[in-house]
Amino acid sequence: MKANEFDVIIIGGGITGAGTQRDCAKRGLRTLLIERSDIATGATGRNHGLLHSGARYAVNDAESAEECIRENMILRKIAAHCVEETEGLFITLPEDDLEYQKTFVERCKAAGINAEVIDPADARRLEPSVNPELIGAVKVPDGSVDPFRLCAANMLDAKLHGGQVLLYTEVTGFIKDGDTIKGVRTYNHQTHESGEYYAPVTVNACGIWGQRIAEMAGVKIGMFPAKGALLIFAHRVNNVVINRCRKPANADILVPGDTVCVIGTTSTRIPFEECDNVRVTPDEVDLLISEGAKLAPALNSTRILRAYAGVRPLVSADNDPSGRNISRGIVCLDHEERDGLKGFITITGGKLMTYRLMAEMATDAVCRKLGVDKKCETAVTPLPGSEKPSYKEVADQIWESPTTVQKASAGRMGTRAARIKDNDRYDQALICECEEVSVGEINSAIERMDVSTLTDLRRRTRVGMGTCQGELCACRAAGLLAKAHGCIQREREDLNDFLTERWKGNFPIGWGDTLRESEYTQWVYKHVLGV
Amino acid sequence: MKLNTVIIGGGLAGLTAGIRLQKAGKSTAIISAGQNALHFFSGRFESVSESSADFIDFFAEAGVRLHYHEGVSLMPMGKLVPSSLSLEDVSIFPEGGLPRKALIVNFTGYHDFFSSFLAEGLEKEGCACRIRFIRIDEMERLRESPSEMRSVHIARIMDKAWEKVVQEVRVLLKDEDTVILPQVFGLKDSHTPSLIRERIPAKVVFAGTLPPSVPGIRTQLQLRRRYELLGGTFLMGDEAVSAETDGARVSSISTKNLQGHPLEAEHFILATGGFFSKGLSSNPQKVWEPLFGLDVEALADRNEWYDPDFLKEQPYMGFGVKTDASLRALKAGEIIDNLYVAGSILGATHPELGSGAGLALRSAFAVADLIAKL
Repeated sequence: MKANEFDVIIIGGGITGAGTQRDCAKRGLRTLLIERSDIATGATGRNHGLLHSGARYAVNDAESAEECIRENMILRKIAAHCVEETEGLFITLPEDDLEYQKTFVERCKAAGINAEVIDPADARRLEPSVNPELIGAVKVPDGSVDPFRLCAANMLDAKLHGGQVLLYTEVTGFIKDGDTIKGVRTYNHQTHESGEYYAPVTVNACGIWGQRIAEMAGVKIGMFPAKGALLIFAHRVNNVVINRCRKPANADILVPGDTVCVIGTTSTRIPFEECDNVRVTPDEVDLLISEGAKLAPALNSTRILRAYAGVRPLVSADNDPSGRNISRGIVCLDHEERDGLKGFITITGGKLMTYRLMAEMATDAVCRKLGVDKKCETAVTPLPGSEKPSYKEVADQIWESPTTVQKASAGRMGTRAARIKDNDRYDQALICECEEVSVGEINSAIERMDVSTLTDLRRRTRVGMGTCQGELCACRAAGLLAKAHGCIQREREDLNDFLTERWKGNFPIGWGDTLRESEYTQWVYKHVLGV
Repeated sequence: MKLNTVIIGGGLAGLTAGIRLQKAGKSTAIISAGQNALHFFSGRFESVSESSADFIDFFAEAGVRLHYHEGVSLMPMGKLVPSSLSLEDVSIFPEGGLPRKALIVNFTGYHDFFSSFLAEGLEKEGCACRIRFIRIDEMERLRESPSEMRSVHIARIMDKAWEKVVQEVRVLLKDEDTVILPQVFGLKDSHTPSLIRERIPAKVVFAGTLPPSVPGIRTQLQLRRRYELLGGTFLMGDEAVSAETDGARVSSISTKNLQGHPLEAEHFILATGGFFSKGLSSNPQKVWEPLFGLDVEALADRNEWYDPDFLKEQPYMGFGVKTDASLRALKAGEIIDNLYVAGSILGATHPELGSGAGLALRSAFAVADLIAKL
């Protein structure tokens, strides 16, 4: 086999693509993953980070609910360092119908979700931030999951099994032979080089962008971009996920994660042209705050850190051109069966929670085409970093008496934190004080985790995700990146991009302390540092 | 005791006005919450591009040496910008007078000084740069905690250990005409930077670091010392909580620490800064001035407060308290006779006064001189 020949090419570096690459690689296939920007830049990195119990779907979509609870239990085992087992509450407020709770609990139980009705007073003890006016509460096995970490860990495992990853590489066309896809043509946005890669099967795992990729291959999928806006609050107001016990609606889930909590979402159909540059409007912000405060009144007086939005890849049923019959379930299309196009599979729909199952379905389809008979192991084999159940255990194993910084690293990297070079004080120095990220962890990420830009670094280490939003740490980290890549000019542009990206999430919520911090950042960068 | 003037805000504008009034024989007090914009001062009085004897002499009396001539200054990330009136720490290169060969010296493991960016910026202008890292034993204890390698901590050590830096630089120096060091010298006075300049056989340039700004903190200390020597009362760590008015005049200010003893005065100066310093407050609906409830020049629609491009001018930074031509504050459209406004709380409402440190100086001079004449 030549260097540009593989068994399978996967397009898309979100969680579905990364999961599919992991599964394929573990089944012994030679894999190549191609992503036009960085990992987790689409819907993967732009959601709640909720480890759904499935309860949200129990009443309206039993199939999704069952998938969720199964995957929930699997992820707790295989992705321990990405998951936090917080538990979740579904609360009924005086304005909601308490009758709904009965149906809700019945359907949860039918789907295999352990939903337990508890006394509102107990709910307040379990989660003191919850709206004290609640009249009903149900406890469910929700949790939180870090999608960046999860995506990176899947990709890392694929690489450990021989997979290759090309980031910042866009698929510009398909190489076809009659009715068969033989490979892809690519363009690398960093090196400006074109390439050709060949494989008997190509998997389209591009989320909402999958429609365009399918069109490029010559087949049609009807997708409906649905924007969901969310807000990140600067403190972890709640420790237990809080949901509204009613039909799913806007801003009815509050998820704690790391040092923050996230409220969302809205749902708005947007035109395809907007998918690359979604914005959060003032109306969405106002709605998220007012609805969010009904779950936890403290949100009214908590500083907001960022606003962001993702685009759900909803797929319409094949026989429904109007798009009214939209499924949130998993869609796995073998285009040979569907359209007579050989060597091409699309995996889409679904959700972060069911990525592993989606990957398994896509990989099964790939294996069928290649005549490979290997069982899927991703449900039982831990991801790299997740071999130990708790970060405390990890830290104690790596370091004699771990510092808070080392514990933070272990929380982010799991057992892989052992690879951080931190045997001297120079490596232990902090670059990002909000998130406690050391020189050692940053250098390790740059060396081992495909980091080209500050934003890539943020996705892998949380640099710049904290209260100051990269005010000071961005410059420090830029210094380390400049050293690693040896190009100052590129790093200057990178720093500007990073600041612009941070600002994009700040200005929609630019008042109060956020505006204060922004004014300071403006001064520091423009007037003190002279960027 | 009734004072002549109470000044709210102990930053550059407040201190400048206070010193000027004390010099004119007026009794004043400054209410200072603590940190202010001097803590992240670039050392450049932006928007003052002239050799103003007024300003230079005024600062010299406080021991703060300023200089100005036409040329360019080196910013911390390696960009060259047109010169402004500056602290002596900030070098100004005349046209054609950039270094030809520079030795950039940083401390090992100090990430708040951008040696490689400085080198790249200078190399674009044809200056060959060499970067070297030094270790000073006295600094090693800073490394015990992962977040201690910051400008002010280093400066404290350098007050005693600066000669070791000079020795290291002398050993490293080859044929470079210029040595570039981080601005981490002279927290209390500018003696140390002067000595370093004298003892290194090349031109010494101090380039800025990430905040806090050592020259800025020093300037604040020097101005405060000068103010107190002139008999001013500096209420450190105190905060104005409310104002008592009598018709169109302010009669007194109550502070957090002096509860039950409001500060009475003939005149008041509001120099509480912009958003960061809490001179202005904001919520999703509006921008307001929290102490007096003064009229604020601001855009009503939140959408228009910002430019989505971070690098562009941000409209909200131009918002400021409305005043008359004598910088007297307006409330509900009426002039408050004895309340004057100075510094960045003015935003861009008086573009002729400039921006940043230039605005602080010009507006403070203006209001102090008006009050002194009354």
